[in-house]
Amino acid sequence: MDTGNSTGIRVASVDDIPEGEGIAISSDITGTEDDIAILRDDDGTCWALNDTCTHETASLAEGWVEDGDVECPLHSSRFNLKTGKVDGLPATRDTVPHRVEVRDGEVYLFPNERP
Amino acid sequence: MTVSSVLVVGGGIAGVSTVAELRKNGFVGELTLLSADAVPYDRPPLSKDYLAGARDLESIALQPAEWYADQRVSLVGDTVAVAMRPDAGEVELADGQVLTADRIVLATGGRAVLPAIAQVRRDVPAALPTGKRRERPVVSPIHVLREVSDADRLRTSLVPGARLLIVGGGLIGAEVASTARGLGVEVVLVDPLAPPLAAAVGIEVATWLHGLHADHGVEALTTTVETLLESPTGIAAQLKGEPDSREFDAVLLAVGLVPEAGLAEAAGLETSRGILVDADQTTSHPSVLAVGDCSRLRDHHRAEHWEAAQLDGARAAATILGSPPPPATAPWWWSDRYGLHVEGVGEMRSPDAEHQTVVRGVVGEPPFAVFTLRGERLLGAVAVDDANAAKAARRLIDRAADVRASDLADPTQSLRTLLRR
Ligand SMILES: Cc1cc2nc3c(=O)[nH]c(=O)nc-3n(C[C@H](O)[C@H](O)[C@H](O)COP(=O)(O)OP(=O)(O)OC[C@H]3O[C@@H](n4cnc5c(N)ncnc54)[C@H](O)[C@@H]3O)c2cc1C
Ligand code: FES
Repeated sequence: MDTGNSTGIRVASVDDIPEGEGIAISSDITGTEDDIAILRDDDGTCWALNDTCTHETASLAEGWVEDGDVECPLHSSRFNLKTGKVDGLPATRDTVPHRVEVRDGEVYLFPNERP
Repeated sequence: MTVSSVLVVGGGIAGVSTVAELRKNGFVGELTLLSADAVPYDRPPLSKDYLAGARDLESIALQPAEWYADQRVSLVGDTVAVAMRPDAGEVELADGQVLTADRIVLATGGRAVLPAIAQVRRDVPAALPTGKRRERPVVSPIHVLREVSDADRLRTSLVPGARLLIVGGGLIGAEVASTARGLGVEVVLVDPLAPPLAAAVGIEVATWLHGLHADHGVEALTTTVETLLESPTGIAAQLKGEPDSREFDAVLLAVGLVPEAGLAEAAGLETSRGILVDADQTTSHPSVLAVGDCSRLRDHHRAEHWEAAQLDGARAAATILGSPPPPATAPWWWSDRYGLHVEGVGEMRSPDAEHQTVVRGVVGEPPFAVFTLRGERLLGAVAVDDANAAKAARRLIDRAADVRASDLADPTQSLRTLLRR
């Protein structure tokens, strides 16, 4: 994995992430406080959010990705993939979005940059 | 008539969801939320992390404290309604204050059933005849679990080596057994059903779930409690079929819920095992709606799950706003025990001429899921540590999709792809 903010961190190949699913990237690699979930919407686009749900401790990478949202695997709060905004209890706090870019089939993550 | 003020009685998930959905969908009028607690909190953690001491009251709040002001919701906390006069749109509080509104939404939840076991008397403060009746067992080491104060009280008994008797092996009894074991408590759990929850999750999963108690050092007995008597060292419980009574330091009664319908009943609204409502949450009085565990949809069972209460709130808000209700969806619930996450969707049926049971994976080896199929229609699913199987099942049910048993049963076949057909 290469690092460096100008090119982003290469974290996965797009083909490794089925549409509608996600993978978690460890904070050791991202250098962020929380792990980061790379989430692939059902239209194939990739997004990144802090991995830990703001309600309890679920990993959003294990959530259900659909129509621009990820639905938490534990209690089904939904977070907007682009803005991190929460829609629906029990979570009440928004999460943090990060920018991702897909080049030549590879996913590059720009931690703490706005999408 | 446009509605310019709404008063919600009860600050559980149903009441909070009602006010949140009203504001979110453009209600600009006056919004008051009456809560028996200072700040509304969420109940599911009361048998899980909160009871274990891993979460505090602030972290289980339904909304952050500043949310109410942000949303222009006047939160009237720490007080209960004692009477309602629906024709006048009035609700009277315990301190004599009277609030009025164009619409009243009852979201008063329920209280724990107190079974008729000797020494479990009902403690009904005379000051609250028809409102919130805080019935509590009066023998102190006997507990129920519905409110945060119940959880605080129960937690003081959950010390390593303490002997806890849990009466009722349903969702809450089982969750407390699991939490108590985690705290080093000796647990005996009794239920007359072998196994409990068969109707909710199917016999196979129910048997396995119930068996987890023994695997985790809980003595799970198929019997009932005949008497509970104070003894010098705690509580003596006589279990049916045993020659001698057993000694416990604490007893939890977890045998079900009585809907809190007193305000509605006293005001002459139709009630029968809950405040009766139509599909739009309206009661028999045109300016009163009811949501959550206190209500019952005519000709249906009460759901008594978190999301059902939340969706009731969303439907009530739509009714008040005159907007279309949120789309109907199969009921969904979750529960946690011994580190496993269990979810149920729709309705499970025993296999018969019409209904087929399909297992994905192996029952007892999570992740796995079990489905009820009628022909090619999915009716229900139970999933253990497989949230996405439950989410897929829910969508398949909601869309009345055609599904084949062989596809459901094949763990290499993504359930999502079935939705794309
Ligand atoms: C310990 C426990 C664990 C649970 N775990 C789960 C779970 O894991 N998954 C799941 O799906 N469901 C779970 N549930 C069920 C879920 O929490 C309930 O279905 C849900 O709380 C119902 O919401 P409600 O708002 O209708 O009622 P409640 O949450 O009971 O809220 C009603 C509120 O109204 C107040 N009130 C009553 N009368 C008055 C009055 N006269 N004036 C003012 N206030 C009044 C009450 O004090 C209460 O705060 C659990 C329930 C409990 C008790
Ligand atoms: S942990 Fe995500 S909604 Fe509860």
